[in-house]
Amino acid sequence: MARRAEEEYDYLFKVVLIGDSGVGKSNLLSRFTRNEFCLESKSTIGVEFATRTLQVEGRTVKAQIWDTAGQERYRAITSAYYRGALGALLVYDVTKPTTFDNVSRWLKELRDHADSNIVIMLIGNKTDLKHLRAVATEDAQSYAEKEGLSFIETSALEATNVEKAFQTILSEIYRIISKKPLSSEDAAPANIKEGKTIVVGESEANTKKACCSSS
Amino acid sequence: MEKKRIDDYEVGPLPSPRPLDRFGFVKQDVNSSPEGINRGKSKDELEREERKVRKWRKMIGVGGSDWKHYVRRKPHVVKRRIRKGIPDCLRGLVWQLISGSRDLLLMNPGVYEQLVIYETSASELDIIRDISRTFPSHVFFKQRHGPGQRSLYNVLKAYSVYDRDVGYVQGMGFVTGLLLLYMSEEDAFWLLVALLKGAVHSPMEGLYMEGLPLVQQYLFQFDQLVKGHLPKLGEHFSDEMINPSMYASQWFITVFAYSFPFHLALRIWDVFLFEGVKIVFKVGLALLKYCHDELVKLPFEKLIHALRNFPEHAMDPDTLLPMAYSIKVAKRLEELKEEYEKRNGKALKSADSTAKQNHSEGVSS
Ligand SMILES: Nc1nc2c(ncn2[C@@H]2O[C@H](COP(=O)(O)OP(=O)(O)O)[C@@H](O)[C@H]2O)c(=O)[nH]1
Ligand SMILES: [Mg+2]
Repeated sequence: MARRAEEEYDYLFKVVLIGDSGVGKSNLLSRFTRNEFCLESKSTIGVEFATRTLQVEGRTVKAQIWDTAGQERYRAITSAYYRGALGALLVYDVTKPTTFDNVSRWLKELRDHADSNIVIMLIGNKTDLKHLRAVATEDAQSYAEKEGLSFIETSALEATNVEKAFQTILSEIYRIISKKPLSSEDAAPANIKEGKTIVVGESEANTKKACCSSS
Repeated sequence: MEKKRIDDYEVGPLPSPRPLDRFGFVKQDVNSSPEGINRGKSKDELEREERKVRKWRKMIGVGGSDWKHYVRRKPHVVKRRIRKGIPDCLRGLVWQLISGSRDLLLMNPGVYEQLVIYETSASELDIIRDISRTFPSHVFFKQRHGPGQRSLYNVLKAYSVYDRDVGYVQGMGFVTGLLLLYMSEEDAFWLLVALLKGAVHSPMEGLYMEGLPLVQQYLFQFDQLVKGHLPKLGEHFSDEMINPSMYASQWFITVFAYSFPFHLALRIWDVFLFEGVKIVFKVGLALLKYCHDELVKLPFEKLIHALRNFPEHAMDPDTLLPMAYSIKVAKRLEELKEEYEKRNGKALKSADSTAKQNHSEGVSS
């Protein structure tokens, strides 16, 4: 594909990070995109954005990740960003049961605002706080199975499974995308303006435009 | 005040030996301090500042006793002086005078203490979760369970009880934190009340309501203003599918307190308290205008980055603010408000009623 070196990629996947406030979404993102963890991070107001380009199933994939404010009051603003997303990382805190209890509410949010075929991954974060664990791995695992989500536990602090979590969801998205006839990388570029399209393999209406319109 | 225990299991930041800037923020490593902020002041400048303070003292009178009179008689003089910046040593007092929070305090003796000590709030856990994430690099707020964090907690909790419709919304901490650097807990509380519920005027009324309807209206207005004032950039934003919710939500929600250099945020707050939200639009437009030639060249991702990380020289108050004052927005803002209400009239009303229904659910998230 004829793109400038730094912009070279086969696919551009938009992913959103959602879940209650304080579960570690922003730190998962900074760990994944910059390999940084910040104990003194500020709470997120509105939305944040970061990207990373990596190899997925032998293809170069650019992950475009939107991090959202977790508080209920912000959903009017953040839910506009679900549209057009191919994947959602739904994060809870393994030391705070309420954040796990609220997972079902977040799933409903996604059903209401995201595309129906969005790939969802449940993430239990902060596994480094072993002595404080309050949500059992098995409970989350069986919940995920019941709801048809993939599941992983992470520690943004210790960088455990963070890479794997993103790799897994991006691979899943890739497998779905690459099955669709329209999605072959030869078919897509004609319509794509350099570095701009969010989605390959979705209809044009689902590209970046969809994610950015506020509602 | 009550010593509220803040249960939080995360590892606290270690006390830092790093140097602080003149506002008490830990200095960033490289070129964080803009020209003229940290260098020693010349004799000339010091004298000018002293004269300025004297003028201000005369204007407000002892303990602020002449303020109201002066504002009524010479509102334009007051406006002009505020736009030049309130002297730092008088800032806390003057903010309370401008907003009318002083009167609220005097009319409600004992109320704040009552709220802090005896009342409980459904938002307590939400507030606690954000305490250490509010100005984490400021010396007053960084110490876990220190006086700064305790004051921040007390004021936010008291407010969430006082105004249960609003409760606690992320972003309020940054506003409160800013106030607490200039006044006592009780004064900061009443200033917050003045901002949100009105005394003289209420520049933040409705801002934190369910669904953040006012924020959405502001974002719409700002989008349209950009198209009008900076058509080339507006077109570029459309082409690149950039929309103000990607970069400007925090401008409106915290009036630039969240991530802007503190000396600039303070100057904006001076004007905001007297003139209202208009200044947020003006400063936003001035920033875009200042960086215009750079921004129109950038593609989507770089553009978002640039819009969230303006260069230091763009944020020098003495350049940026005069530029902001020269941009006229009042009339257009009115028109756009009407347009927004026409477009969203129905949607808003129904959203309003569902918001009310949801309100009692009180999910902590
Ligand atoms: N121990 C531990 N703390 C974490 C981890 N991830 C995030 N945190 C802390 O949890 C708090 C909230 O993190 P943040 O990323 O801002 O959460 P967000 O509100 O979901 O974006 C911060 O104090 C982080 O330092 C983790 O994996 N382990
Ligand atoms: Mg966050």
